[in-house]
Amino acid sequence: MGRIAAAYNWFDERTAIRSLIRKGLYEAVPVRGAWFYTLGSATLVLILLQLITGIFLTLLYVPSVTEAWASLHYLSQHDAFGSIVRGIHLWSAYILLFVIGLHMVRTFFSGSYKRPRELNWVTGVGLFVLVLAMAITGAFLPWDQAAYWTAVVVTNIAVYTPFIGSFLRALWRGADTVGPTTLSRTFGIHVWLIPAILFPLIGAHLALLRKHGEFGSYVNYRGAYRSREGVDVPPAPKQRPIEPPYPAVPTDELWAAPLETEDFYPHQTFKDGVVSAALVILVFILAVAIGAPLEAIADPATTSYTPVPEWFFLPLDELLLLVPQQLIPLVLVLPTGGVLLLLALPFIDRDPERNPFERPAVMVPGAFAVLFVVILTLLGSGRLFNL
Amino acid sequence: MSELIALVGPALHMLAAELPSQAPQGHNRIAAQAAIGSLFSLHILIAGLVSGAGELGPAIEFLGFVRQRRRYDRLAHGLGRFVTLYFSFSSAIAILLITVLLVGYWGRFWTTIVTIGWWPLFIEAWTFVLQVSLAYIWYYTWEPLRAFKGLHMAIGGLLAIASFLQVYMIDIIASYMLTPTNPQNPLRLALNPTSYPLTVHRTVGNLAYIGFAFGAFCAIRFLRARNPEDKAFYDWAGSFGLLWGVAMTLLQPIVGYSYAKEIQLHSYGSWYKMMFGTLSPVFLWQITLLGIMFITATLYFGRRLRTDGARGSGLLRAMSVGLVLTTLLAAMPYHLGFTYADVAAAGLDRPFWEGGLINPLGSMIPWKVLALMFYTLIAIAAVVWYLRGLPGVVWGGARRGEQRILMLMAVLTMLMIVTMGFIRENSRGPFLISGQMTIEGQQNTQNPQPTPTP
Amino acid sequence: MARRDPRRLSRRQFALLGTQVAAAVVTVLLGIPIVGFLISPLFRREQAVWRQVGDIAGVPDRQPTKFEVAFPLGEWTNANVNLAVYVVKINADYRVFSNVCTHMQCPVRWEDGLRQFLCPCHGGLYDMTGNNVGGPPPKPLPQYVHRIDGTTLFIQNRFTESI
Repeated sequence: MGRIAAAYNWFDERTAIRSLIRKGLYEAVPVRGAWFYTLGSATLVLILLQLITGIFLTLLYVPSVTEAWASLHYLSQHDAFGSIVRGIHLWSAYILLFVIGLHMVRTFFSGSYKRPRELNWVTGVGLFVLVLAMAITGAFLPWDQAAYWTAVVVTNIAVYTPFIGSFLRALWRGADTVGPTTLSRTFGIHVWLIPAILFPLIGAHLALLRKHGEFGSYVNYRGAYRSREGVDVPPAPKQRPIEPPYPAVPTDELWAAPLETEDFYPHQTFKDGVVSAALVILVFILAVAIGAPLEAIADPATTSYTPVPEWFFLPLDELLLLVPQQLIPLVLVLPTGGVLLLLALPFIDRDPERNPFERPAVMVPGAFAVLFVVILTLLGSGRLFNL
Repeated sequence: MSELIALVGPALHMLAAELPSQAPQGHNRIAAQAAIGSLFSLHILIAGLVSGAGELGPAIEFLGFVRQRRRYDRLAHGLGRFVTLYFSFSSAIAILLITVLLVGYWGRFWTTIVTIGWWPLFIEAWTFVLQVSLAYIWYYTWEPLRAFKGLHMAIGGLLAIASFLQVYMIDIIASYMLTPTNPQNPLRLALNPTSYPLTVHRTVGNLAYIGFAFGAFCAIRFLRARNPEDKAFYDWAGSFGLLWGVAMTLLQPIVGYSYAKEIQLHSYGSWYKMMFGTLSPVFLWQITLLGIMFITATLYFGRRLRTDGARGSGLLRAMSVGLVLTTLLAAMPYHLGFTYADVAAAGLDRPFWEGGLINPLGSMIPWKVLALMFYTLIAIAAVVWYLRGLPGVVWGGARRGEQRILMLMAVLTMLMIVTMGFIRENSRGPFLISGQMTIEGQQNTQNPQPTPTP
Repeated sequence: MARRDPRRLSRRQFALLGTQVAAAVVTVLLGIPIVGFLISPLFRREQAVWRQVGDIAGVPDRQPTKFEVAFPLGEWTNANVNLAVYVVKINADYRVFSNVCTHMQCPVRWEDGLRQFLCPCHGGLYDMTGNNVGGPPPKPLPQYVHRIDGTTLFIQNRFTESI
């Protein structure tokens, strides 16, 4: 026994690291549709990218209305590598929003949110909302024209909450108008408050994933148990015995273990690695080639600047344009209702059927919701193009 | 024989003396407008079906492939047959419209618009070729390519793309007429403020229209069908068509509303005319029609489920009551006057030509907008409830009443399309191209051509 | 075993109660200052100050004219912030508008072609007298609290009606 192995044994005896790694790496995952699960790990990788670049950006950025723009301007003038770090922070945020959306749509269409994975979905919706909140608060921080007017419009939406509107707006702004306290508070929310909730929630999401295993695709289960009509179909021969986390006895009449599984390491990690690396390369190229823009410093007295929302804010901005003056609170009601509906989804749709083509009663309104957001985004971009 | 010629000859001469020697320009503009308006309505009623079938047919074939249901395949094949049969009818009307009516009556306009929109029209011409070739190939290779369904569906996909491009290209021209931009820049022309909303509005509308149309067609065939297999198929296809129609119509308030918003931002006069001006009564009729369509569809959903005792019919009946209430909300006047002074202040004591209120029922904003939202929400709920109840339905057992509703839906849709076209084309008036070219001054062919000097 | 007197706390109950009381004390002692810290800006009155806009004798009739005035940014900073002021003269009457849209507080601008104030964000329109005449804005364009000494205009950094 070599020295290294001996040292490893010593360490294992005190920490049980070996069984931890074993449990972490050698777990059964479904074979079919595995490329689709890489969306989840890609989301995780992009969030970690945000964490790392964000921490390093605080080494220079000053959260003050008089200094914020100047510090980032200094960065763009005097620090090529710092600019790349800021570029990575911005572009990985954009791509993260896109990938997290895809991840959610995939989960919805494959019916993976159903029993016993309801809480995976609920924590996922929470993560989605928090990531959106991170993106919006992050957009305030550069304190250039784009950031300032985003801050004004976004905080002003709160004023249309019935009864407590102006209180909520002032709570975020720290005053009646957007000013020094707004930036301090938003900075605190962006770097501490939301991450302090976000990262534990990621832990819960992952723990639940490991408990129940990936659902995968209904294709994995075809013929495994009884069909819907109740006729017994003999289980197809399995390539491997059922192994944890999949239960040998089905949790519901149709779905328990996928027909064919393989080890998480190295099969799934390979696919995850390919997709994540491709995304990180893309982020890096965009960060170097385009970088993060910095417009002129915030100027409330402007009468020539046209505020343009961030792209992920476009559907809501288009809604702001469409809703007539008597009905403005609808702009708050629709997204809030949407999130509540998303949270309630696994408890409303309890039919164990997973095939997307066999559950039109859920797919059709879901497709409507996706179409609604896509159409609003496209209409918004068309409007901005013709400004 | 010679007597006949002697009789007919003078009559023909008399008639010939009365007929205008050239296109009747200027003096009977109303007749020209009526001819163009009615023929365009007829054209859009058929062309909408053709392009809708070209898009929906391939989609249904794909659905049938993934769900492994034979009846989807049969339905898609039927839609393919429709495209091959009616393509030439619709294009013949279009050609008649362009070559005879538009060039003849409004020559200056047509020359201008072809010069501006040369590229879109050039592509448009080729999409016709593409669409008709692909439609024939798609329809006639159905059985031969049964073993190569992927290839066949790819042909269908191309057909759908060609049908979409065709609508998009002509919409660039149509939207440019309402909201002109810099015509020198082809990208600005193709993405002018209303081109995108109009294309989405029309594409979604075509998909809804073909759904309602084949629903009605299948209703007629169902009533005539004798063998149980046909009865089951037509029963299912009628319900399926209505579902498509309603599901697509659901998107229209959002898309149409943002279309109107773009008109407000870029062609304010037209927007004001539609929402508050002379066209606002027509717009109200349009909203009422939409309400009637949703109520009728919900009635069908409820009845069809009740016939087979499937779950959900009671709630669907409640939803149709909700839709009726929404229609009442839509009809709520903007001004509620309880004293004569209120009435006079709202302008209700005198007719609109003396400065009174044009539309006592109120204009589009705000009750109508709110009503539109309720329509959409209730109709989404109705679709979901019907879909939930469908597993309990046995196809082939529908009654006559349901089939009548399906036929009524198609009629309502056609009314809707014609109303919509009427509003859109009249909102621009008196302009042919907003702010640039009016309907007056089109008879330039009467001016003598300057004689070239050698 | 002797029957326990129900009026007496058991050892276990005492420990439970003690833990709960300790948690409650910590929560209250931490919570009061934190919540107070969060909402204290809501009760701080911003000191309104007068600033000179300038001479308005040259403002043409029915032609909104833009001025910029520096006000202290407030709170802990020493810096100033510029605010836009649109002065509209209609006959002998002056109106002093800000450039803040009442819809989403975007920067409103005067459009000479439209003869209206336009908000570029969501297409809100105001006429020359500040009335909201189109688009989503729910209220008229806000006016600054102002006074005119001779031909010199002074304004305060607050509106006549809060938005």
